Amino acid sequence: MLACLLPALVLFAVFMVYPTVNVFRMSLYTWSGFSPDMKFVGLDNFRHLVDDDQFVRAFQNTVTLLVVVTVVTMGMGLFLAAIMTRQKLRSRNFLRFVLYIPNVLSVVVIAAVFSAIYDQNNGLLNSMLRLVSLDSWQQVWLGDQKVVLYSVGIAMVWQSLGYYMVLYMSSMSSIPEELYEASGLDGASASRQFFSLTMPLIWQNLRTSLTFFIMSAVNLSFVLVRAMTGGGPDSSSEVLLSYMYKQAYTNSSYGYGMAIGVVIFAFSFLVSLLMSRATKREPLQF
Amino acid sequence: MKDSTRTALLVGVRTLVAAACVALVVVERRTIGWGHLGIMLLALAGLMALLASYNRRYQ
Repeated sequence: MLACLLPALVLFAVFMVYPTVNVFRMSLYTWSGFSPDMKFVGLDNFRHLVDDDQFVRAFQNTVTLLVVVTVVTMGMGLFLAAIMTRQKLRSRNFLRFVLYIPNVLSVVVIAAVFSAIYDQNNGLLNSMLRLVSLDSWQQVWLGDQKVVLYSVGIAMVWQSLGYYMVLYMSSMSSIPEELYEASGLDGASASRQFFSLTMPLIWQNLRTSLTFFIMSAVNLSFVLVRAMTGGGPDSSSEVLLSYMYKQAYTNSSYGYGMAIGVVIFAFSFLVSLLMSRATKREPLQF
Repeated sequence: MKDSTRTALLVGVRTLVAAACVALVVVERRTIGWGHLGIMLLALAGLMALLASYNRRYQ
């Protein structure tokens, strides 16, 4: 038995356990990342984090993206899935296909698409606004400190929405039609059916996807920020992972970067754990 | 109070609290600082508490 498990355990230890432990260990050192000089400084890196405004800003941006993108993606995903499952739309398969495409595309391609859409002069968004005489609504979508994070957030929603919608649709499709017929005969409205029937019966799926999404949102925000804005302008779209990357690999403060990594690990772990606890319930059989 | 009225009120209050938590996150992000970050994390905790309170009767 152990012999069968050994290859997997070795791979897990080498590629998961060791790097994770190493992040914690390296957060206690100052190291440029290249030189052989490594100095143990205890918790100094964490003390510096407290005085680092850029870190606080990156943390605030991460929390904002986490909350806004999760609420919008999950809300819209559930809504669209319910509409497409319960209402017999003629173009249902086409819509599902269109909404799922972004999930197949590479994140870098999505970043390129949205950079083109947000282009200040020839971008689709500003051109559309000009076309409908809403010139005053035009923005420098990736250059304005107030809107840049939300511009990245919209790209994140677009990338994830189709996947979660299809996931919920598959769960909703497996709910027996008789349950809806019986509740309809009892006088339940469509919204009542959604909250009292659909939601409880897809809860396990919803719960898993929510926990998973929180972790993936932190990672996805890094890739999109790197590809679309590089954290700018003036660090206004910096997220925790991009700031960690910047410190560890551009600023040659590897130890400090790893201290940020420890905070990211603790934050993601805690939020996922609390979310898992908050949504725990007995699975329903049908 | 009728059951349906109570349920409608509860749904209304929960929706308002959720909207307030999201708004708080968006507003507090504008100013950099540990205090503002703390409020944002409290709003995040509020959203999760709301989810837990909705989920409690199904546990």
